[in-house]
Amino acid sequence: MKKFLGILMSFILLAGVLAGCSGNSESAGSEKKDKDVDLKIWSFTDELKEPIKKFEEKNGVTVELTIVPIADYPTKLKPVLESGVGAPDVFTGEIAFLKQWVDAGYWENLSGDPYNVEEIKDKYVPYVFDLGKDQDGNVRALSWQTTPGGIFYKRSIAKEVLGTDDPAVVGKMMGSMDDVFQVAEKMKEKGYSMFPDEGSIRWFSHGQNPQPWVSEDGELNLTDEKIEFMDYAKKLRENSYTALAAEWSPSWFEAMDKPIKVKENGKEKETEVFSYVLPTWGLHSVLKTNVKESAGDWAVTNGPSPYFWGGTWLGVYHKSENKELAYDFVKMMTQDDEFLTEWAKETGDVLAYQPVTNKIKDDFSSEFLGGQNNYQFFLEQAKEIEPGIVTKYDQQLDTFYGNAVQQYVDGKKSKKDAIKEFYQKAQNAYPDLKVPKK
Amino acid sequence: MKNVNRFGYLFIAPFWIIFLIFSIYPVALTFYYSFTNYSGSGPAEVVGLANYKRLLTDSYFVEAFFNTWKIWGINFALQIGLALVLALIFSDMRIKMRGLAFFRSIFYLPNLITISSVALLFGILLDWQHGSLNMILLKIGLISEPINWLNEPATAQLSVSLILTWMWFGHSFIVVMAGVSGISKDYYEAALIDGANRWQTFTKITIPLLKPILLYIMITSLIGGLQLFDLPMLLTDGIGSPDGSLNTMVLYLYNQAFKYNNYGYASAVAYGLFIITLIFSAMVFKGMYRNERKPRQV
Repeated sequence: MKKFLGILMSFILLAGVLAGCSGNSESAGSEKKDKDVDLKIWSFTDELKEPIKKFEEKNGVTVELTIVPIADYPTKLKPVLESGVGAPDVFTGEIAFLKQWVDAGYWENLSGDPYNVEEIKDKYVPYVFDLGKDQDGNVRALSWQTTPGGIFYKRSIAKEVLGTDDPAVVGKMMGSMDDVFQVAEKMKEKGYSMFPDEGSIRWFSHGQNPQPWVSEDGELNLTDEKIEFMDYAKKLRENSYTALAAEWSPSWFEAMDKPIKVKENGKEKETEVFSYVLPTWGLHSVLKTNVKESAGDWAVTNGPSPYFWGGTWLGVYHKSENKELAYDFVKMMTQDDEFLTEWAKETGDVLAYQPVTNKIKDDFSSEFLGGQNNYQFFLEQAKEIEPGIVTKYDQQLDTFYGNAVQQYVDGKKSKKDAIKEFYQKAQNAYPDLKVPKK
Repeated sequence: MKNVNRFGYLFIAPFWIIFLIFSIYPVALTFYYSFTNYSGSGPAEVVGLANYKRLLTDSYFVEAFFNTWKIWGINFALQIGLALVLALIFSDMRIKMRGLAFFRSIFYLPNLITISSVALLFGILLDWQHGSLNMILLKIGLISEPINWLNEPATAQLSVSLILTWMWFGHSFIVVMAGVSGISKDYYEAALIDGANRWQTFTKITIPLLKPILLYIMITSLIGGLQLFDLPMLLTDGIGSPDGSLNTMVLYLYNQAFKYNNYGYASAVAYGLFIITLIFSAMVFKGMYRNERKPRQV
């Protein structure tokens, strides 16, 4: 009896261990009798919450949304996608790692049957459609938004300093980097800061000549325009055109709504920031969520050159067992007239799906921007976007280069040394890159 | 053989199965990957010792090694010093300090806060333009310019060291106190009668008898310190800014693997780190062993 009990106990323990190992794969697939969740979605923002609610109501299904902070998102998602254990049916990708993922083949090929997205190609803003393609030209992911950028500024300050708050006129005043510095000088004379920090102008560093960081044969390409950005950033610092509030820092957010105190050369001054360089989503998820008092006092206009920043793509996991429903969700997010109209009006997001944008662009107006039709403005900007400049190295190289520029602006390194260090870091991170021996 | 009950094996099987799957297998796999150019997805090509050769000449890894030691060293000196001073005060028979339990929990509290909260808290306290620390220093006139703590290599390292000290001295203090309470009161009473002063009782009685405890703290702290990762990761931009001064060995490993997708090389870094930890732990152990063998001096 004792022996029997021993065997029994051992097997119970063992069974527990083995069940623990295989539990995940079972719940993901065959064992669907409890029918808890029909669709699993992973994302790095909470913006899908509302669409998911609507999708659930419409289809009578249950969707589970897992939100992973952006910093951990690639590291958390990758092993899951590699192994397929506990993997989502739909997952989103930020532009920073989009290129790696479309080529890795984690997303289902949407160009093939039964999706055939090529048929509706003409309905999308071209660059958005093209960025979701892998190296063989197959569409892997779609996006519902375009993310061209502009300069968001405060109307009241523009009126006081520049004599007008008309976005078209203000935009003309900032047609080139030199013009921007002239405006900055005027701002300074009245005690305002042109930008929160020096990094603000980095998007204009491509100038009129946007080039990818790494060329097709693996050469690292630091353009003259990018090097020039170092001088512009330095000039901003030396002439005290900024409020020294680093991007995403508490003071960066604080300065959106009210004057902040800045300590410089031993003196404390109070300054109000005139403008923020942000793309479409900056309006909804950055400005609107942080600005209280000055809502309605804002407007958006162009900078010296067009640019775009960020963007969320989504697609169907290639090993998903529920591809049909998964694609239904992708379809709703990217092609559903009714849903997208509602979404755009609610969030001010600039859509990539043109049938809807064409319908709403003419009488769009944003209360936050003093009634301005930001839709038309951004659509114009989106036409200038060059998708070919996105590479899988962008995020890291941008960080390295931003570091180098900071070192130069702070006066810790000469321009030459800063660039040299940038090259070294790039080579260290990506040994296969061809780095200029300068 | 009849007396052997084999069911024992079945009972320990769960542990071994888990241990093999989640500990041994990854360790072995990492060893294999350290000889490949694995990039996180796709096939891995065996490249021989190339990764280890690169590791030996990698100036960033050497920099990370010295950074780690600097940050850990300052932190350890302060942490153990503070713990000893506190232990000295609380154990002194002449002062008769009260409220040991209260202070013990107060000192230990920082250790319970998650590291991300700590990083967030100090990120705000140390903020260049608006941080409380600069505000206070400016008000009392100690500095005339705000210091950009996390943007200067020296102050950034010092900041991390001090935060670590703040987090860990309570832990060391508790362990030291436990050691002190294990020392017989007779020694102190005898010393008191013989007219020894406080410094003499401390250096001649407390410290020598605490040696095993101190070595224990040192080894655990060393192993933890060599794996320093989260604070440098969270305090600045995650790649070791400013000027690479917060680039620690594990942070470097993390970036190579998960940011640059050089999994093969990162595995070699992991084994490099393992060997370094092994060597230094062995050295400390050896020190302990030698001390044990020394004949007692009377």
